[in-house]
Amino acid sequence: MLNYSLRRLAFAIPTIFALVIFAFYLMRLAPGGPFTSEKPLPPAVMANVLERYGMDEPLYVQLFTYIKNILCCFDFGPSFSQKDRSVNQIIASGFPVTLTYGFWSAVFVLICGIPLGVIAALRHNSFWDYLMTGLAIFSQIFPNFVLAPIMVLLFTLSWGLLPGGGWNGGQWQYIVMPAIGLGTSYMAGVARLTRGSMLEVLNSPFIRTARAKGLPERTIIWRHALKPALLPTLTYMGPVFVYMITGSVFIDVFFSTGGIGQDFIDGAYSRDYSVLLGLAIIYCVLTLSINLVLDLLYAWIDPKVRDAL
Amino acid sequence: MTSAKTHLNSKEFAEQAAEEMITSRSFWADARVRFFKNRMAVVSVFMLLCLVLFAIFGHNFAKWSYEEIDWSILGKIKTEGAPSIANGHYFGLDELGRDMFARVVQGSRTSLLVGFVAGITSVIIGSIIGAMAGYYGGRFDQIVMGMYTIWLAVPYIIFFVVWQAFFGRSLAQLIMVIILVNWTAGLLIVRGQVMMMKNREFVDAARMLGLNDFAIIFRHIAPNVLWVVVIYSSMVVPEVIMMESLVSFLGVGIQEPNTSWGALISEGASTMTFGTLWQLAYPAAFFVIAQVSLYYIGDGLRDALDPKDRR
Amino acid sequence: MTLLSVRDLNIRFTTGDGDVHAVNNVSFDLSAGQKVALVGESGSGKSQIALSIMGLLAKNAIVSGQVMFNGNNLLAASNDELNQIRAQKIAMIFQDPMSALNPYMKVGRQLSEIVELHEGLSRRDARIRAIEVMEAVQIPDAKRRLDAYPHEFSGGMRQRIVIAMALICRPQIILADEPTTALDVTVQAQIMHLLDDIQRDMDTAVLLITHDLGVVAGFCEDVMVLYGGRMMEKSKVGALFKSPSHPYTRGLLRAVPNIHDQTGQLHAIPGSPPNQMNAPTACPFAPRCNDVIDTCWQTLPELTGEDTQRACIQPVEALS
Ligand SMILES: Nc1ncnc2c1ncn2[C@@H]1O[C@H](COP(=O)(O)OP(=O)(O)OP(=O)(O)O)[C@@H](O)[C@H]1O
Ligand code: SF4
Ligand SMILES: [Mg+2]
Repeated sequence: MLNYSLRRLAFAIPTIFALVIFAFYLMRLAPGGPFTSEKPLPPAVMANVLERYGMDEPLYVQLFTYIKNILCCFDFGPSFSQKDRSVNQIIASGFPVTLTYGFWSAVFVLICGIPLGVIAALRHNSFWDYLMTGLAIFSQIFPNFVLAPIMVLLFTLSWGLLPGGGWNGGQWQYIVMPAIGLGTSYMAGVARLTRGSMLEVLNSPFIRTARAKGLPERTIIWRHALKPALLPTLTYMGPVFVYMITGSVFIDVFFSTGGIGQDFIDGAYSRDYSVLLGLAIIYCVLTLSINLVLDLLYAWIDPKVRDAL
Repeated sequence: MTSAKTHLNSKEFAEQAAEEMITSRSFWADARVRFFKNRMAVVSVFMLLCLVLFAIFGHNFAKWSYEEIDWSILGKIKTEGAPSIANGHYFGLDELGRDMFARVVQGSRTSLLVGFVAGITSVIIGSIIGAMAGYYGGRFDQIVMGMYTIWLAVPYIIFFVVWQAFFGRSLAQLIMVIILVNWTAGLLIVRGQVMMMKNREFVDAARMLGLNDFAIIFRHIAPNVLWVVVIYSSMVVPEVIMMESLVSFLGVGIQEPNTSWGALISEGASTMTFGTLWQLAYPAAFFVIAQVSLYYIGDGLRDALDPKDRR
Repeated sequence: MTLLSVRDLNIRFTTGDGDVHAVNNVSFDLSAGQKVALVGESGSGKSQIALSIMGLLAKNAIVSGQVMFNGNNLLAASNDELNQIRAQKIAMIFQDPMSALNPYMKVGRQLSEIVELHEGLSRRDARIRAIEVMEAVQIPDAKRRLDAYPHEFSGGMRQRIVIAMALICRPQIILADEPTTALDVTVQAQIMHLLDDIQRDMDTAVLLITHDLGVVAGFCEDVMVLYGGRMMEKSKVGALFKSPSHPYTRGLLRAVPNIHDQTGQLHAIPGSPPNQMNAPTACPFAPRCNDVIDTCWQTLPELTGEDTQRACIQPVEALS
């Protein structure tokens, strides 16, 4: 187990390094730069600016400094476009916001998706089952960027129940719509997957064995069926988290939460390489670590996998 | 990644699917019969066809081009910009005084074009790489799988944002980034199929006949995995349309004045506080119709082609 | 004393293509301590008979008839009532030990939960019982292996655990559904010996389902032959092996590899099992029977006879 964790880490770390190096070169070699504006700066000023940002040195030296600063002091350097802020400050102000509603969104996905899938499987062809099928199709058709405007239309503009955007220090009213808007389609995906695997498990021979023992239905589901039925859901959560991060960029922009997604998009417009690079690294580290945790969790839960490691 | 895809990528599916020897012509004939028995799928094909015709010929019915500004109404959008047959703006005007009908036609064009071209190209590329990885195995396979794992772990929005920051945005570039993001589509499933297939007798026979690897993959294995690729494409196309719409919504997709469903929905959403709901409703409706149709077509194809629920 | 009495059992399955008549008009009795074999080709409905007794048929099954146990008709019993009988009174050993155990649970727990539930034992006592029963089925080092998962056991060991599960409550009846088919020959013999010993110790009634006539000869007293979901012959083992009275049974016996057979040939019964989509109106074996005559195609033979019961319209003497 420990061995496996180390091996997975040994894969994740070079991956991150490769991504950093690749992104760094891509950003520096791309045409134009943060300081190319309509009116070209006088060469002397330009040289000055470049020196200030350490961009007059050879690329590999810049890369080295960049990585060194991240590793030793967790310093992603200054922002190129927001003169008075560093990338660290941008991350520090936006990341907690995104993480907060992202967390609640994940809670929503699991707390609603798993029971819904289980109930739909247990009450095959019942109201809950149809509700779930409906929801699955609905979420496929109404992705977050269609759902979010509709929600604002209803809950803010028509009924005035919830604020249509902003953050306000993370009061719950401001979290509801971002969390639901981000999670709905994945909630439906989790429900559908859980239903499918639950149905399969309930038809498996070992559940028949459990029935033959005279166990009550409740015990059969909780003790025997739930764990194997949830394993595929766990695998599915990896890609879901990756997709949710993309979704969070949308949510940040649409609801003006002040999360890092907005900075990421702004960074693209202003060609703010240091912000783009910093946030891209944060996103990658986040997804890779979530995937790592999920893999370890899976290995820990499934005795067969655990032994194979 | 949808749960349907998870199923297609599973080992059980690969095993079941490889059992089917789809060399006979009757397979496709049977599948066609099954598909056309599925009422939802047939209706959806019809709907999609209508959308495609709308996208191609819609401009002929528009009184305005999608870039033109109707100066006579600009400034009074809220009161006079609503959909009207009389002034020729069937779907109303956007907040810059442009004809929404023409813009929706243009948006449909872009979205469908991007969806089908980028979606299908991605699946083809992914399938070819997957086929080679499955066929050759070894080092090449390891590298491909490593790349695949990394790709899945990187949120796709990063590609779009970074690309747009450096290279700007044109339709061709948009398609390119989408392919770059989606090259993994179909990879795993075709790889699995080919791995199952390559030790079959008919492949051995082909090898004995002295055919080279390339000929074996394309002449003998490809027909047997084609149907898997078809199912996969039917799921990737709506996903790509969705992806394009999302990034266009965020402003890192298609460039003004060209437009797409996502960009239109974005504009509509940003102006809905003013009560000009038609700006949101029409593009959203078209997007939803396309997604519904593609969903049921994909479903129908899966039912018709996938051996799992078939007896 | 008759423990279990099955009368006119019919099992149909509704499917998209029509109904499958898996079991038709099957009746038999099981007395305390009796060992009865149920033999027949694959698909003849053996497992479904056992499952119907346990109340574990698939959802698409339609069942009629009676399964009387202690004065109750099990086919009409509620799930809660059945739960009082399952494992405690009637236990089943499943066909495939590889899939019958929960792969995500320690085997000790899978054993102890049964007695915890039915006998109200504490976890600790239940564990002790689990160890005892594992020792009874000759699993070496039982105490340590209690905390192992099924995949850590070999096929034979897993089958022992499945048997242990059936035994742990000392049931009156064990329905053993092909307990050895998934295992290799030496392990088969061990498992059958084990079952035999335990059966004798506990005086359990056993319904042994198998298609291996060799196992039947060594273990059972009575034998029932099933074909296409119908009972073809019911007799004492000795009589059946000495003078099989039904053409199908004769075919089955010829198909058993026999060291005394000088020709060394295996005589598989030609043809394939019957299509069970329609309720038969003729002898189901007619298409494959060597002795078929015209009337066989028109009448459905009933099971008749005293000691040896058979379902064939022709008298034994008339058979080739
Ligand atoms: N749920 C079901 N739906 C439809 N048909 C079924 C179902 N379950 C069983 N059957 C059919 O019932 C018949 C009897 O099956 P059964 O499992 O009893 O056979 P068996 O005698 O135990 O064979 P084997 O030796 O292979 O175990 C088979 O033809 C099978 O196809
Ligand atoms: S009834 Fe006829 S066909 Fe059937 S077993 Fe007897 S002889 Fe053969
Ligand atoms: Mg069976």
